Amino acid sequence: MNPKRCAACKYLRRRCPKDCVFSPYFPPNDPQKFACVHRIYGAGNVSKMLQQLPDQTRAEAVESLCFEAKCRVDDPVYGCVGIIHLLKTQIQKTQNELAKTQAEIAVSQTKLSQTQNSDFM
Amino acid sequence: MSSSGNPSSSGGGGPCGACKFLRRKCVAGCIFAPYFDSEQGAAHFAAVHKVFGASNVSKLLQHVPEHKRPDAVVSICFEAQARLRDPIYGCVSHIVSLQQQVVSLQTELSYLQAHLATLELPQPQPPQVPVSSSGSLQALSITDLPSISPSVYDLSSIFEPVMSSTWAMQQQPRPSDHLFGVPSSSNIGGGGELQALAREFIHGGQMPAQPSPGTSGSASTVIKRE
Repeated sequence: MNPKRCAACKYLRRRCPKDCVFSPYFPPNDPQKFACVHRIYGAGNVSKMLQQLPDQTRAEAVESLCFEAKCRVDDPVYGCVGIIHLLKTQIQKTQNELAKTQAEIAVSQTKLSQTQNSDFM
Repeated sequence: MSSSGNPSSSGGGGPCGACKFLRRKCVAGCIFAPYFDSEQGAAHFAAVHKVFGASNVSKLLQHVPEHKRPDAVVSICFEAQARLRDPIYGCVSHIVSLQQQVVSLQTELSYLQAHLATLELPQPQPPQVPVSSSGSLQALSITDLPSISPSVYDLSSIFEPVMSSTWAMQQQPRPSDHLFGVPSSSNIGGGGELQALAREFIHGGQMPAQPSPGTSGSASTVIKRE
């Protein structure tokens, strides 16, 4: 048994076993991290998800779960789908600007070549 | 008995998709009934239940105003499906991919704008890279999450290819140090569009391709606690 409970076991008010699935990823100095994940997914679901993953991928999975949970807490309606939407909007806007700039470049280059042609005459 | 229209059991129809999946009685006023029909709703609810859990989703929906619940359900279903497809990164991989596209496009735009400036000015000047409205191009950090509180989103754009030209959002650049100058609010879309989107999603709408971030470092880059 871990002498110092992980944040998850502290939150759940239970003993923290040596093989606690949460303890490598939810250190006791960051209680909010687990609170957020637990609020959205529930401890049982997170535990199941982690147990289905290889050890070396669990840290990344926890971070992505925390990210999505925080997005959902901040925006209960759209969660991180809101970020996806905004990014897509940003992409579209930038593509429009790119197209406009490319057109302006084409016009400028045409004018420039016309000016150069008339200079030669 | 097939239920058309209102799938709630209050009208004498069968159980909603959620209660069907949970094998419980679908009571009048079931919070899931309007959003999970008895036919395909059960499959969608299965994903949601596996990732979030029925009671967590119920609590989430209870804290959302009723007129926003269809959007909430669509986004929850989207995240659940993404997590089942990619148990490690969920829809974060999609965010990373889009973020990389934004960076790439803005770099290209800056270059072209500088090139345009050299063409338009009579004397060569050092290219002035315009300050992009996107602000910092740093990797997405969990501490840089924008406070997104839109009134309504047009969720159809989530399920369309990036090259779609149907968007009509007018965004205001955000002067703060948020990652992409992501606007904090928008007022686009209407209930009809979103309901159509929900139906499209539930009846096998497209999920965007979610390329794996590849190396383990990419998600660490994306999600970085400071």
